[in-house]
Amino acid sequence: MLCDKCKKNQAKVYYTEIINGEKKEQHLCEDCALEYTSFSMGSGMSNQEITLGSLLSSILGNYAAPGSLHGAEQTEKEPVCDHCGMTYSEFLKEGRFGCADCYDSFKKGLEKSLRNIQGSDTHTGKKPKGFESGTEKIVKELSEIDKLSIKLQDAIEKEEFEEAARLRDRIRQLKKEEINNA
Amino acid sequence: MLKWYKEIGKNNDVVISSRVRLARNLKSFPFSAKLNEEQALELVENLKAATPVLESKSEKKFYSCNIDGLTDSEKTAMVERHIISPLLLAREQSTGLILSEDERISIMLNEEDHLRIQSITGGMNIMGAFAEANAADDVASELFDYAYHEKYGYLTSCPTNVGTGLRASYMMFLPALNVTGKIVKLAEELSQYGIALRGTYGEASKSVGNLYQISNQKTLGSTEREIIESLNRIVEQVMKQERRYREYILTHNYDEFEDKVHRSFGVLKYAKQLSSSDAMTLLSQVKLGIDLELLHLEDDCNVHELMMEIQPGNLQCLLDKNMGSAQRDRFRADYIREKLPDMV
Repeated sequence: MLCDKCKKNQAKVYYTEIINGEKKEQHLCEDCALEYTSFSMGSGMSNQEITLGSLLSSILGNYAAPGSLHGAEQTEKEPVCDHCGMTYSEFLKEGRFGCADCYDSFKKGLEKSLRNIQGSDTHTGKKPKGFESGTEKIVKELSEIDKLSIKLQDAIEKEEFEEAARLRDRIRQLKKEEINNA
Repeated sequence: MLKWYKEIGKNNDVVISSRVRLARNLKSFPFSAKLNEEQALELVENLKAATPVLESKSEKKFYSCNIDGLTDSEKTAMVERHIISPLLLAREQSTGLILSEDERISIMLNEEDHLRIQSITGGMNIMGAFAEANAADDVASELFDYAYHEKYGYLTSCPTNVGTGLRASYMMFLPALNVTGKIVKLAEELSQYGIALRGTYGEASKSVGNLYQISNQKTLGSTEREIIESLNRIVEQVMKQERRYREYILTHNYDEFEDKVHRSFGVLKYAKQLSSSDAMTLLSQVKLGIDLELLHLEDDCNVHELMMEIQPGNLQCLLDKNMGSAQRDRFRADYIREKLPDMV
């Protein structure tokens, strides 16, 4: 089909315009579409960025944290990142975080948004070398006696009494050594 | 080691190259949206200091630079060779680059994220590319304190990259899927699996010379290996489809197709002026002709390498002087004529 406007090129864009309730349909070629409408098939980098940015903020905005809602519902204060000063609405507008702390500052609305964008909200991949998770840190800080006591509790619950007796003796021995060392 | 685009890798008839990118940020600096110029400069200088350490740990030669120290043609040439992104050039603040001599590893400094560690290999070898990027990441993670979250993983400027920060992408040569009009349908199908199909130069770009990028969309929730394996499975399928359509074209339109390939070769061999888009289309035909053994040349010819070299920025760097587009078109035609081996 030829373009309705120039009647020369092949029509590639199906364009519907509604003015004062009146619908007007046109088949346009790329050039006429570009001139006639705000449509662009080209590789304009900025154009794409605008689309992506607003797409992202519309997804993020669906799950706006309380306080960033407009109108009557606005009761709480809008979340602001203490560290870099980014506000939640600024984040929605840009679709970019201001710093690492923003992730925790905007946590409330973020998890649902992440599930929506990423299909998940929890990382399962690589960790930086030497990174310790909160649990790992707690475990690391436990004394030998604490660790054995947890194991002892576990053994009693599972009714493994021989193992429990062995652990009890080991704890007693460690406690004795501790007193002697002190 | 050869530069990646000179290497003829596995499944080279369909997969041109494999690329992996890891997005990383430092804990101690604001992300790009909140970074001031002073901090940007400090960040780039700090990151550049990793260069000698990378060199000593990888037995590769690396060099580093500030982007504003490069000439315009050097910058364009690097974008054309996929070493840096157009976004890095568009940034108003200080930016930098660490690049291995073989151009397989490039680390963009202060692009959208503080570090964008990238590795490219020729052909289908994304695991190889990942291994190289991962090793560079390990070096950097020992030198710098990364922004890492127990739950969300590697924290990135944009929520679409958080988690692994991994974007794995293949550069695919898909002339048969394109000519049979299957590309749009394919892109739709792939998006259902969280895979994006884009033009040659990434987001929003059109395909040039039937080259397309296929990459993972999601970065959170799966491990690096899972992301790569699922991308691989899909790329295998795309590869099968492309080859099937090539067979189809050969059996149904052999004469017409053979004629087209030979005409393209003829134009490349005898033209006096070639624009880069014309040259890309013609070279694409010639590559397909060689792959399908419709065209026999006296010597081996890496058509993809030629495709890289005849881009405006690279051509300019090759000649080491600024040229107007008409002059460039003339030089491009001469260059291709000389580089393209004769027919047997």
